[in-house]
Amino acid sequence: MIDARSAYIIRRERLWRLVSFLSILVLSVTIVLSVKGLLASCVLAFVIAYLFAPVVDFLERRGLTRSLATFIPFLIGAVIVGIGMTLIVPLIAEQLQVLVGRLPQYQADLSGIISTIELKYQVYLKAGQFDLSQKLSDWIAVKTTATSLALPEFVSQSFTVLLLAPFFAFFMLQDGNVFSRSLLSFVPNNMFEITLNLRHQINDQLGGFIRARFLEAAIVGAVVWVGLQILGFPYATVLALFAAATNLIPYIGPIIGAVPAVLIAIVSHDSSISTTPEATLLFLTGVYFLAQLIDVVFVIPFVVAKIVDLHPVTVVVMIIVGAEVAGILGMMISVPVASAAKLTFNALYSHLTNFRD
Amino acid sequence: MNFIWDNIFRRANNQSVFAVLRENMLFQDLTDAELRFLERCIHIRHYHPGESIFRQGEVGVGMYLVVSGRIEIYIVDPNALTEDAREIYITQLSANDFFGELSLVEENGRRTATAVAREETTLIGFFKPDLMEILSRRPAMGTKITLRIAEVLGRRLKETTDKVSELRRALKDLRVPPEREIPNQGAK
Repeated sequence: MIDARSAYIIRRERLWRLVSFLSILVLSVTIVLSVKGLLASCVLAFVIAYLFAPVVDFLERRGLTRSLATFIPFLIGAVIVGIGMTLIVPLIAEQLQVLVGRLPQYQADLSGIISTIELKYQVYLKAGQFDLSQKLSDWIAVKTTATSLALPEFVSQSFTVLLLAPFFAFFMLQDGNVFSRSLLSFVPNNMFEITLNLRHQINDQLGGFIRARFLEAAIVGAVVWVGLQILGFPYATVLALFAAATNLIPYIGPIIGAVPAVLIAIVSHDSSISTTPEATLLFLTGVYFLAQLIDVVFVIPFVVAKIVDLHPVTVVVMIIVGAEVAGILGMMISVPVASAAKLTFNALYSHLTNFRD
Repeated sequence: MNFIWDNIFRRANNQSVFAVLRENMLFQDLTDAELRFLERCIHIRHYHPGESIFRQGEVGVGMYLVVSGRIEIYIVDPNALTEDAREIYITQLSANDFFGELSLVEENGRRTATAVAREETTLIGFFKPDLMEILSRRPAMGTKITLRIAEVLGRRLKETTDKVSELRRALKDLRVPPEREIPNQGAK
């Protein structure tokens, strides 16, 4: 049996440890959320760290020190990014320039199409109530102005994120364990094993999830690029990159990724496309559908589904919540965050209900 | 006592942690460099008298090595008739002893006994995620440790088998042989 004085000391220490541990977590999350650009830097750093971790471990297994094993993938990554910048960036810039140049024409074409539809169905609409073409023109004008105003800040913030993220990722890979071990030392004794196990499970799940999502994005991007190249569709690289990036958003992402290409196909009279507009639209749908088919049939059942055990309704709700909290970034990180939260809740619930001290 | 400074920031003497690791049979095949790597993977935990390290029935994640102090291991019998008979004392452990190693290889295995500190105690915690990390980063070192764990578990299994055989023999000796059964009085 344990005397009252010892029980009091144990309880008090457990409470202080728990308060310290939670305070550190809350403070860290608050700082990350309140400092501009820090959330994006941290998310990108986690992504880089999880993508590089298997390579770093492999190099360490080959006998390299942790520092060198961490440095080499970063060096190779920097070289690849450098080469990519020199080869792909001019191509993207060129395609973007052409796209921006043709945007007023596309806008006018789209307004024309909508006006035709409006005229066709005028009998069903009250006059002047649904001036869709005008509304679209106004919306595009507002969005274009807002984008051009926000662009300098976006570029400077992206620059900060792109500088900070690899820096954070390097130290996460090199000293991440030391940091997490220090943090774990604050956990009360009665919750230590469960917390350690939870950290391990979340780490495993997040790593697998991020690697799987990037594999999906790469496959979708590649299939879309090849398909658009075969079709001779303009802006193939930009559209493929856009499809790959939006594919990181579950369920809604693939649709968002296909929208620009479909809109361009509807309004474009590009001479480089040899097929009729209807055939182009059909082929385009086929390309995006094939990309999703490969994703759904091969990647999701074998990789993603095994990693994240969440109901589709939960996933959609989490994406909406993520979009509300942190925009596109929130949509992308909502699923792994929800998955980690579910794991934590289950472990804590089971611990607290089964073994109350 | 200042609990913040005394307990949260207190660290065990590194020299003694290194010595405990080196002297433990699970790590006896490791080189000094590997032991130093192991030192960065383990967790130092401090316990007050009466504080439980783990309880019977909890999911176990790993093992503990005693750096200093005293640990008592007992099992709880839920079917015991009296409160005193509920806790069945098993053993007492002190510096350089280790316990809970079965959890290193079990999947969500439950603790089969309760471990409680009987005095101010410092333990080294070595858990499954730590072993997995070693196996992933230094497979040769991880293999040495895993082989030793297998050896310890094998030895424990052999001891348990011997104990079961011994108990069976004792049970057999206690049984009344059929030929010496008391004749049915009614048949007389």
